[in-house]
Amino acid sequence: MTIGDFIVSDEVMVHGRSILLILTLAAPSLAAAETMSFGDAAAILGNSCGKDIDDNCRGVNFDSIRLKDCLYRNQDSVSPQCRVDYLRAFDAIQKHIAARATVARMCEYEVVKRCKGKAKEISKSLDCLLQQSGVSAKCSQAIGDAGYR
Amino acid sequence: MRPGNGGLRDLCLLAIALIASATLTFPLHAQTADTPDDMVTRLSGLETAPELDLAALRQRAVDRIKAKADAVPLKRPPLTTELRKLPQFTVGIRFDPDTSIVRPESYQSLGRIADALLRQSLLPYGFLIVGHTESTGKRDYNLTLSQKRADSIRDVLVTTFKISPKRLQAIGLGEEQLLDPAQPAAAINQQFQIVTIAKAP
Repeated sequence: MTIGDFIVSDEVMVHGRSILLILTLAAPSLAAAETMSFGDAAAILGNSCGKDIDDNCRGVNFDSIRLKDCLYRNQDSVSPQCRVDYLRAFDAIQKHIAARATVARMCEYEVVKRCKGKAKEISKSLDCLLQQSGVSAKCSQAIGDAGYR
Repeated sequence: MRPGNGGLRDLCLLAIALIASATLTFPLHAQTADTPDDMVTRLSGLETAPELDLAALRQRAVDRIKAKADAVPLKRPPLTTELRKLPQFTVGIRFDPDTSIVRPESYQSLGRIADALLRQSLLPYGFLIVGHTESTGKRDYNLTLSQKRADSIRDVLVTTFKISPKRLQAIGLGEEQLLDPAQPAAAINQQFQIVTIAKAP
């Protein structure tokens, strides 16, 4: 192994440690974002970005595409708090929406075997699903993340 | 009886009387809901879906304004009494003046409504968003503005929170169906009703 290899390895380790550190710091917020309700996510956006929306995006409604796009285009002008929180809020909203699609996948066994339903028609089996005891942890988690309880 | 008990009892009776009085005088249809749990409770219990003709209801509002009928807000009869019988709550959503742009301080309320509508117990139901205004300004303008604002709430619920558009309808009734007819100019008349109106077959 050459000195150059050491340096490269060291850089990789430093990068690895940095990534680990970032992941460790981000983990709680990512976990929280997965289960954040629409109400909480919307509150973060309204509280952190209210003034910025008034100043930079007046006339843009609470639309996940247009408002996000407007805040992105005005990143240089919006407050540091809003710059962080608008991404977090919209990300949480998207994850909450995505979680609804995940329920069908995560609960397929329970829907088909226990509720005699179809995974594609998950809404028809939700009543049964919520009354089941002993559903898998992943299914239970998916139901909670989707906000069905 | 120990001294002081009578005073305490009187105080309790007074409190009960005040609560009862508030409950009786506050219209049932004007009950608010702050949390998704409250909203779910208020929206539950639809037994028979009503046969609401929203286009006809809206047309009645247009015709009444055009005919300049019931000009005095205090004496103006509601367009329909059907809505009051249905499970519902009222919510205050703030908008930029004279627009249908929701103010950031009301984002949370819309998010909470979306949370409630996605609860399993409400998934099989359809809802009507009813926009109102107080009785200041022109009646036809108020009718148009309330429709735009009700549509705006529906748009946010559908586009941002992906509530199925099939479950949501919106109608604006301006100042033709005052939430508090005794105080036509009061701000409470700017609130919105969220009403359970349909059940999936």
